[in-house]
Amino acid sequence: MAPSQASHTPSLATWTKSLRDQSLEASIESLIFLLKRRQVTGDECAGAIAQLLRQVVAKSKWHDVDQLLYRVQTAGARLARAAPHEPVIGNIPRPEPASSPTTSPSPARTLTSGLQVSKSMFNLLSVADPSESPVTGASTPISQAQQPFSVHALRSEVMDGIEEILDEINQADDQIASFAEIQIHPGDYVLAYQPSKTVERFLVKAASKRRFTVILASLNPPAPGEEEQPYAALRKKLNAAGVSTINLASNGLMAYIPRVNKVIFGAKAVYQNGGLLVDSGACIAAQAAHEYLKPVIALCGVYKFCPEDPSDEVSRGELGNPSSYVSYADGPELDSFEVENTTTDYIPPDLVDVYLTNLGPQTRHHLGGIYADHYKIEDIGFSLQVGE
Amino acid sequence: MAAEGYGAASPATATTQDGAKGAAPPNPAASINSPAPAANPEKLTPAQLKAKAKAEKQARRAAAKEAKSAVAAAGQPAQQSGSAGADSKGAAKGKGKQEGQQVPPKGVLVHRPSVSGRRPSIMVVEKDARSGIPECFSHIPMAKRIPTSQAHKDVHPAVLAVGQQMATFALKDSISRLKATLLAFRKVIESYETPKGNSLSRHFVPHVLNPQIEYLTECRPMCFAMGNAIRLLKAKVNKFDINTPEDEAKEGLLEWIDFLINERITLAEYVIARNAAQSINDGDTIVTYGRHRLVEKTLLRARKEGKSFNVTVLDDPYVGEGKELAKVLRHAGIPVLYSPNLGGLRSKVPAASNVFLGGEAIFANGSLHAPSGTADVAMAATNAGAKVIVLCETINFDRERVSVDALTYNEIDPERNTGDCFRLLFDNTHERYITGVITEIEFGGGNSPAQAILALLRKQEDPLIA
Repeated sequence: MAPSQASHTPSLATWTKSLRDQSLEASIESLIFLLKRRQVTGDECAGAIAQLLRQVVAKSKWHDVDQLLYRVQTAGARLARAAPHEPVIGNIPRPEPASSPTTSPSPARTLTSGLQVSKSMFNLLSVADPSESPVTGASTPISQAQQPFSVHALRSEVMDGIEEILDEINQADDQIASFAEIQIHPGDYVLAYQPSKTVERFLVKAASKRRFTVILASLNPPAPGEEEQPYAALRKKLNAAGVSTINLASNGLMAYIPRVNKVIFGAKAVYQNGGLLVDSGACIAAQAAHEYLKPVIALCGVYKFCPEDPSDEVSRGELGNPSSYVSYADGPELDSFEVENTTTDYIPPDLVDVYLTNLGPQTRHHLGGIYADHYKIEDIGFSLQVGE
Repeated sequence: MAAEGYGAASPATATTQDGAKGAAPPNPAASINSPAPAANPEKLTPAQLKAKAKAEKQARRAAAKEAKSAVAAAGQPAQQSGSAGADSKGAAKGKGKQEGQQVPPKGVLVHRPSVSGRRPSIMVVEKDARSGIPECFSHIPMAKRIPTSQAHKDVHPAVLAVGQQMATFALKDSISRLKATLLAFRKVIESYETPKGNSLSRHFVPHVLNPQIEYLTECRPMCFAMGNAIRLLKAKVNKFDINTPEDEAKEGLLEWIDFLINERITLAEYVIARNAAQSINDGDTIVTYGRHRLVEKTLLRARKEGKSFNVTVLDDPYVGEGKELAKVLRHAGIPVLYSPNLGGLRSKVPAASNVFLGGEAIFANGSLHAPSGTADVAMAATNAGAKVIVLCETINFDRERVSVDALTYNEIDPERNTGDCFRLLFDNTHERYITGVITEIEFGGGNSPAQAILALLRKQEDPLIA
């Protein structure tokens, strides 16, 4: 099965192509495998799930709202369980370190994953319902279906909604980048920690308007065989725009922070308390910047906001494959010591100064407003059921 | 150290050659090896070697292979001075060989005129080394490999060897650099003869010692321990009366150097390891960062005393020294958790009973100068409520300089000195992130916050000179 899977679904691209032809069940399975193998990462992940949901709505059989919700729930929950290490699967995207098979499953995260999905569904339905049937003020769908309603109309309504979500995901980076020139000033030294796609776009956009210096830091050196300097493409773009770049070869960042004006990184997820799930090591940058009172700017689309608090597991971080750090050439000692390669970090809210979302810069005191606008209490409860 | 000294010197020259002409790897190796075997069948007197090298050089020059002949000139004295470094430990047998070793500097002198012709090209190489440094860090010094043929003529071969080892980081941490320097200075003193009409106390420092110091500083910025020791040495020399007989003065200096090495390095290491090991209890979890000699000694000692504890070794993957420590500890039977990078730092430190960190120096304001990354670990540990204990010999305390950030006193990694890849060797940990410093002082709070120890040192150190 494994080889055939590999040939059918080596990448997200082929999966996307196959969406139209494959049966719904096959698409779900394929995506689950892609997620499990971490072949779908970051923003791709969000888009992929939105696309899949569109398929669920379009292809699965349903005759009323309840059935539709059930289909979406189960599909969402399955996908979420496929990648429990990513709290944001449902909340859609984030950059992912494609490494570790050693994750411990977290039910709490599974819940969240279902959550974004259901939230979207709910919002869509609450719009759809009043127009199609005389259900008043209801975000709770009525299954008895006293009123005949057009499955077809509802379907297209929901599809439009998903389309909107996809648009939001696709545009978020650009929208965030549009705030670049407000945040970055001429002559700045900007420390970009393991720049994600979002951060890259942000920096490139800023480079078109400003002259500044980007200091790039990453947790791990390029693999021994790898000749290419990290972030070569980004650096080329920035250099072409006249922005100089410095690649740091260091895990410790305190030494450089006195020179730095601000620290920027992309968040994988934002929790309700304002804490961030980030690439491992970003916490070092945030902590060092905090020490010197330099602003810490986290870039995150609103779709990365999870309406839950971080679990202990989140703050412990996810463990990745240690084999790039030790090899059997290291001798017999290798057997006897534990190697722990953490691949995600949790940043507590007090280390973050600005949450730069596609809706504009926010502080943690106003995150509550965003959550209120985007989630309903019923949705959260609803998603909890999904997770079970 | 003896073996290390010789072994380290050859790669040093090899890399210098690489720097000078960027040749293919096999080439320099060949040129190091070839003079010796080729000369062997013939007679091996230094003069002949010299002549041969010179002839070779002429020939190559004619062939316009300038860089390659630089290799021969540079490689030869370094090899010999390398053996000088190797000998520098055994003081007794030094004398006999000492005279033989006087040759290389003279040789260098002889070669000088021809060397100067090449100088521009080498200067260009040097400029290149610094030209890649990003503007904002351009004020920070960097170790530099100086071909031994470029050294000042007064530099003693033992010092030449030490300089090369420092430039190539074969001698890396402050204490091993200090020790090598002192041993080399010992050689310098032994071979020193006061010129007629001068006295040691007036002539030695400006005319003999200073060129050595300059050379060492050029190879790599001096560490604070070396600065301290040199200050003490100069004060010691100045203490001698003008009329002190030369032999007596030399004897006094040699004894003093032995005393310094013994008290401030050898015994200090022992005492610190013992004191720090006492603070480890059964069942503790000790966190450390990178690999520091004192931390390693401490943990091994505690283990030897029969304590059972866990160690978490945090590492910087760009350096990877922590892995070696992890192996050593594991070999000694200590359970080790190895974290190859600083990711998840905040989640790893709360479990620590103690965080042991080694220091390169401690400034007058109590801040710690230590390998890059130490500050991040110390801060995370303090924020998580763990105790941060720094192990540091008092010779590393700088009582004059104050540093509040890492960009005041630092060094650029000579291997990573461009925008493509940049690294500072040290960072600066604020005093508030250090619970205490363990030093070799055993009375009145030798293990207390840095400021208290600085106060003790201000009172205590001066008698050492007398």
